Amino acid sequence: MISVVIPAYNEAEAVGGVVAELVGRGHRVIVVDDGSRDATTSAAKRNGAIVLRHAVNRGQGAALQTGIAYALKRGAEFIVTFDSDGQHAAEDVDALVAPLLAHRADVTLGSRFRGSTEGMTALRRMMLKAAVLFTRYASGARVTDTHNGLRAFTRAAAAKLDIRLDRMAHASEILDQIVQHGLRYEEVPVHVRYTAYSRRKGQSSIAALRILADYVLGRWMR
Amino acid sequence: MTSFQWIAFAVLGVSFAVTLTLTVRRVIAPRVGFAWALLWIAAAVFIAKPELTATIARAMGIGRGTDLVLYFAILFMIFGFFAVYVRLRRIESDMTKVVRELAMRSAQEPVVDGEDRGRVSGGGE
Repeated sequence: MISVVIPAYNEAEAVGGVVAELVGRGHRVIVVDDGSRDATTSAAKRNGAIVLRHAVNRGQGAALQTGIAYALKRGAEFIVTFDSDGQHAAEDVDALVAPLLAHRADVTLGSRFRGSTEGMTALRRMMLKAAVLFTRYASGARVTDTHNGLRAFTRAAAAKLDIRLDRMAHASEILDQIVQHGLRYEEVPVHVRYTAYSRRKGQSSIAALRILADYVLGRWMR
Repeated sequence: MTSFQWIAFAVLGVSFAVTLTLTVRRVIAPRVGFAWALLWIAAAVFIAKPELTATIARAMGIGRGTDLVLYFAILFMIFGFFAVYVRLRRIESDMTKVVRELAMRSAQEPVVDGEDRGRVSGGGE
């Protein structure tokens, strides 16, 4: 069974639909409500997700690690991480897991630049490309999309992961750990849909600087 | 003695007494208490004999005694900020572990047919 881990913070508006679609495809869905002040937990539960609730907000990296640890505890064979704001497509999950099932890879990473996007602004594209260049240089991972929340891990690969950067810099940290552990990774083309909602909820371009600082400090302090 | 010296000695005396009390009561580690006590004594010595700082400053190639004190004060502060930052990161990461542990222990099952079954009892498949 595929376990889909969704970190969510104040996503009551979108998370229900995301969960329902994934549950409808037969996946076990684990939502980590990262201390939301809205009805995220009940929206996720009503639509068929198991919900873990952080008592206080700890950041997306922390929420992912919580969800992954729980999925492992419940015996997940494959773990997929998925965004809560509806920007990912549920049908991409099977495409991500396929290389793992075929034992071709231990980890698959969704790439919107190999796949397709709709509604992405020019500024967002530029920021993401800059992040890709930086991350390729820092981690040595040869990937085309470094900040995509859609990823899949085999059980063994997920068990090796130890996300310690609690906030948003975990995207680079995950890549670092994939390379360090010598895991076989593969990019899979996925579709990312930017809506007015996801643009409002997503990271601002200024926040990218904070994420960069968090990552550099985190690497240096380790 | 100048009025500044009176005020400074009063402040330093209280600081020293507080440090001593905290150390004896084991609120702070003896090592830390000793370091603070040394700092208060050094400050008192330099306030009592300001010309001493000038002598040391010249020996170290710094023009004035006040500059020497200023430079060292800034260095200590930078070190202090760094130490606090490191500790803060550790507390944050410990907090995440606690929050994670609590979340995993109280996982909630999906609502089925309008029935909220609340927490998951036990783990496993």
